Amino acid sequence: METLILWALVLVFTGAFLAQVATRVRLIAAAPNTFSVDHLGVRIGRLLLDVVLQRKTIGERPLAGLAHALVFWGFVAFGGYTVAEFLFGLGIADVTGTPWFHAYRIVLTPFAVAVLAGITYLLIRRAFFRPAGLGPTVSVESIVIAVFIVALMATFLLGWRLDESSPAGRANWWVHMLVILAFLALIPASKHFHLVLSPVTVFLKSPELGSVPNLDFEKEQVGLEAVRDLGSKAVLDAFTCVECGRCEVNCPAWEAGKALNPKTLILQTQDALLAGNREARLGDIYTEAVLWQCTTCGACENQCPVGIEHLPLIVGARRGLVSNGDAPGYLGSVYNHLERRGNIWGLGYDQREKFVAGAALETFDPARHDVLVWLGCAGAFEADFQKSLRSLFEILRARNVRFGVLSKERCTGDPAKRTGNEYMFQELAKANIEDLRAAGPKRILTSCPHCVKTIGADYQRLGYDVEVVHSAVFVEQITRDLRREGTRRDSVTFHDPCYLGRYGGHVDEPRELLTRFGGEIREPVRNRENPYCCGAGGGLLFADKEEEPGSRISDVRFRQLRETGAGTVVTACPFCSIMLKGAQTSAPGAEIEFVDLMTYVNGQLAKR
Amino acid sequence: MILVIAEQRGGTLNRTTWETIAAAQQIAAGRPITIVLPGASVGTAARELATAAVAEVLTVESPALEPYTPDGYTAALQSAIEQLSPSLVLLPHTYQTRDFAPKLAARLNRPIITDVIAFKTTGGQSTFARPVFQGKLTAEVAPQGPAPHFVTVQVGAFRPDQAERGATPAPVRALPVNVEAGAIRQKPEAPFQQAKQAVDLSQAARIVSVGRGIKEQANIAVAQALADALGAELAASRPICDSGWLPMERQVGSSGQTVAPKLYLALGISGAIQHLVGMKGAHTIVAINKDPDAPIFEVADYGIVGDLFELVPALVKALKDS
Amino acid sequence: MKIAVCIKQVPARDWRPRLNEARTWIREADATYEMNEPDAYALEESLRLKETHGGEVAVCSAGPARVSHVLREALARGADRAIHVEDEALGSADGFAVADALAGVMKDEQFDLILTGLQSDDQGLAQTGVVLAERLGLPHATIIMEVQVGDPAGSGDARLRVKRELEGGWFQWVAMPLPAVLTIQSGINQLRYATLKGIMAAKKKDIRRATAPPGAAPLQKIVSLYVPEKTKKTEMISGSPAEAAKELVRKLREEARVI
Repeated sequence: METLILWALVLVFTGAFLAQVATRVRLIAAAPNTFSVDHLGVRIGRLLLDVVLQRKTIGERPLAGLAHALVFWGFVAFGGYTVAEFLFGLGIADVTGTPWFHAYRIVLTPFAVAVLAGITYLLIRRAFFRPAGLGPTVSVESIVIAVFIVALMATFLLGWRLDESSPAGRANWWVHMLVILAFLALIPASKHFHLVLSPVTVFLKSPELGSVPNLDFEKEQVGLEAVRDLGSKAVLDAFTCVECGRCEVNCPAWEAGKALNPKTLILQTQDALLAGNREARLGDIYTEAVLWQCTTCGACENQCPVGIEHLPLIVGARRGLVSNGDAPGYLGSVYNHLERRGNIWGLGYDQREKFVAGAALETFDPARHDVLVWLGCAGAFEADFQKSLRSLFEILRARNVRFGVLSKERCTGDPAKRTGNEYMFQELAKANIEDLRAAGPKRILTSCPHCVKTIGADYQRLGYDVEVVHSAVFVEQITRDLRREGTRRDSVTFHDPCYLGRYGGHVDEPRELLTRFGGEIREPVRNRENPYCCGAGGGLLFADKEEEPGSRISDVRFRQLRETGAGTVVTACPFCSIMLKGAQTSAPGAEIEFVDLMTYVNGQLAKR
Repeated sequence: MILVIAEQRGGTLNRTTWETIAAAQQIAAGRPITIVLPGASVGTAARELATAAVAEVLTVESPALEPYTPDGYTAALQSAIEQLSPSLVLLPHTYQTRDFAPKLAARLNRPIITDVIAFKTTGGQSTFARPVFQGKLTAEVAPQGPAPHFVTVQVGAFRPDQAERGATPAPVRALPVNVEAGAIRQKPEAPFQQAKQAVDLSQAARIVSVGRGIKEQANIAVAQALADALGAELAASRPICDSGWLPMERQVGSSGQTVAPKLYLALGISGAIQHLVGMKGAHTIVAINKDPDAPIFEVADYGIVGDLFELVPALVKALKDS
Repeated sequence: MKIAVCIKQVPARDWRPRLNEARTWIREADATYEMNEPDAYALEESLRLKETHGGEVAVCSAGPARVSHVLREALARGADRAIHVEDEALGSADGFAVADALAGVMKDEQFDLILTGLQSDDQGLAQTGVVLAERLGLPHATIIMEVQVGDPAGSGDARLRVKRELEGGWFQWVAMPLPAVLTIQSGINQLRYATLKGIMAAKKKDIRRATAPPGAAPLQKIVSLYVPEKTKKTEMISGSPAEAAKELVRKLREEARVI
């Protein structure tokens, strides 16, 4: 009798589970395929570290992460137990009496205690401490699930005390089974679907941060315009979201008080998919203005523990807008500058030539030179950054590195790519690749992290493979033989550029250099692989008057740097330098020095 | 005979006419010079022109010529030129000349060489120098075919004070022309200047711009005095507007206005790229800054390294004295 | 409204001049080319008028084969069709020759409005638009900062009202009938960029090739080209404040001629 009831319940609840899963699977299957499994080794490694060992969740929020890890490991450990009890209850097989099952239950007991401890902590944290990332209201669904988990563990533990054939024991068993079934039916439509999806999502996540594929113009691809354009990975992402809010609290725009919220974007995508209107415009769903507030710093995607890729979604949606002429006005000017002059400011080429001549730079010749130095737009036209480049040239000459420059450079196309003008990007890229191939360098050295990413990763996808290294990394290598001298220490703080620290992973080299050359580093909040953006990326360097609410991202970062109490801010990116110096001019009474890393190192080198 | 077509508005001569007269006198080489003055009632202006060392001044008067229209002027001057048969016709390269002179030359099927800065005469043949490719090159152009040949002279290429005055006034007479008012297709309204309330720096011909070097809000008066002396608009770089010392509409730069005035005076502005991109289109850039390494000097045409609080009052005085 | 825009392909603004052997023209093989900037503004204005009043925009250009690039650019920005008067010599010819060639192909089309830039970035003659108007027998106005069209399609007064830029910060509104020719001033509007969709669509749009009728002998000839002595260089003025100020005023008045 009970068996029949259980069968009925299993069929109903499993049916409900499968039906909901089917809806979502159908949506994923209907989407254009964007799954990839290249770099298998990296993916497997990441799966082991981030899913099995919960590296990300523990890393960013240690206590909560550990509590979650306990719940997760407990959940996995209980898998066999749950299956065995259902097999028994459905009358299929009965292994519950075996000695190994008994041993299994003994092993599970500490797990159950750990899960209880973990879930209790998490429940209290969510309901009473109310961390910002979890949203303004307490999620009822989370409370329900937490209660379920407590119930499951409690009923398991009670199973030791209660005689399984007694009425209390039977009731206890039934509560356990019912809770599992209810849990099952609830999962797909809740954020707990990540239980099923997140290993898949993490596995399918690109090994490269902010991996935005090239558009194929032959196939008339224009970007993401409507819901029907969302790729299968994006759809999968939308259903995997755990609503933990790590992306939200790390987003520089959100922290500065703007409307952009990466978590909201993913949840809006989910709602739009379930609403079923495939023609709904993404620009309407997210509201266009929000899309233009992203600096592409990558904090959201980098922090996400379940493998969601926010950047392809944002840049993809931008592409959809730009391809239709809906880029904001200030970007239109930038595109015209890139088209007519090949640089972001629309300045004349004679300025670059003047700089090259003034610094006595040679045209790159692979027979005579070790590295090709890529100046970039700032290097060609921005007087302040040119000072930093002159420092770099002195360092290279002092260390006997032979180098040359291209006689003609165009912008790498980074601002075009990140703002969604893929056509402009590919035009610039193809022309640059032709020139670079003709020059034939084995190694390109540049002081602009954006150029590093664009030439290193994006050009690679267009078929051009070359080693690109940032000056901080290179100079660290070539000065390694120099030892720290003297005891005087300048108090400095280092602002990690997003495209060097987060994208490139190079956070130690600049610090090595600073310490080697007399700096005492005071770390700001948000540093190393998780810096707070300066606000220039994603085309925001060109954004005109601030009309939205909130502060300027650069002002927020400047405050964070100033709060370190250091006398000098060291930067390693021309755009960070422009933004932060600009922020300084708006901050009354702030007398903090700005120096580029190369100028700092060269200054110290010269003294030796 | 060389014909100079004078320009007037509302009875007042345009200063560029005197530059054209100077050019005519220099190229004349013995040939007589006649000035033609089109308009409605131009008696006073004609008498002023008569003080030049020219053969005669002819007024081409018709009520249909006030206000100026290209249709009207072309018809009137075509008739005048057909009566006078000059070898060379000179005009100043003003907006008005650019509006009708090519039409006039095309009507008569004669060459028109515009924006001329100099000329060279060898063996009775003249060639005319004009800037091409945004001033990167100079072209020497020779007119072909029968007379008259039309030449428009770049504003400022010749100096009005180079025009020689005659010992006695030249004769002034009226040249009859028939201008059919009904055939004029343009209906102009009265000219106006943009409203003074709305600050539109993009239309300003001259701008005095201040940066952090101005130090305090009270010191902006120093820059304002210079702006007044030059008839210029006041503008600023971002920090000044951020501090509220000047309104946001006066900000020049990538997050403010983009301007392209004839004259841009940058006082105490370092020349950060965000500012530079807003003013790089200026025709003549003057920079005053106490830092000799300031990037602004890279783009300036004229630069003075010094204390703006001494230089600006000196400039105001020099302007008033000249 | 049936609008025509006449555009010119000119060497890029930052190209460094190199002269041919005879020093009568530039070495074309060395130059990179782009759409003349005032013409780009004229094109943008025509596209806005089309968006407001409906109709079509035809873009026309006279010159050698390479001119098709700027025609494609114009089509990518939204022009509907293009007319290319193909002729090697027209790329370096004077305003009369170009205007005659364009008038030849345009006169049978009955355009309501013809726009072009006020002058070109290469020769800068500032004549072609005005001569084109004369050849087509149409009224014209130059250096236009704003265009207002009344009732282009109706039988009522098809009036055009345009704002002319005058010197010294003055402006003037002029009313004219349609059809008419206007030469457009740079900065009249904000230029749109070529969108991906526009570029894809442009590949399918029509470029009609026409030949120029045999022209009359040119009325002017470039005898020689040379590099002028003065190149842009920062001139630093020194001396006491009073001396430097006086010298600056003198230079601004006499050399730069801006005061």
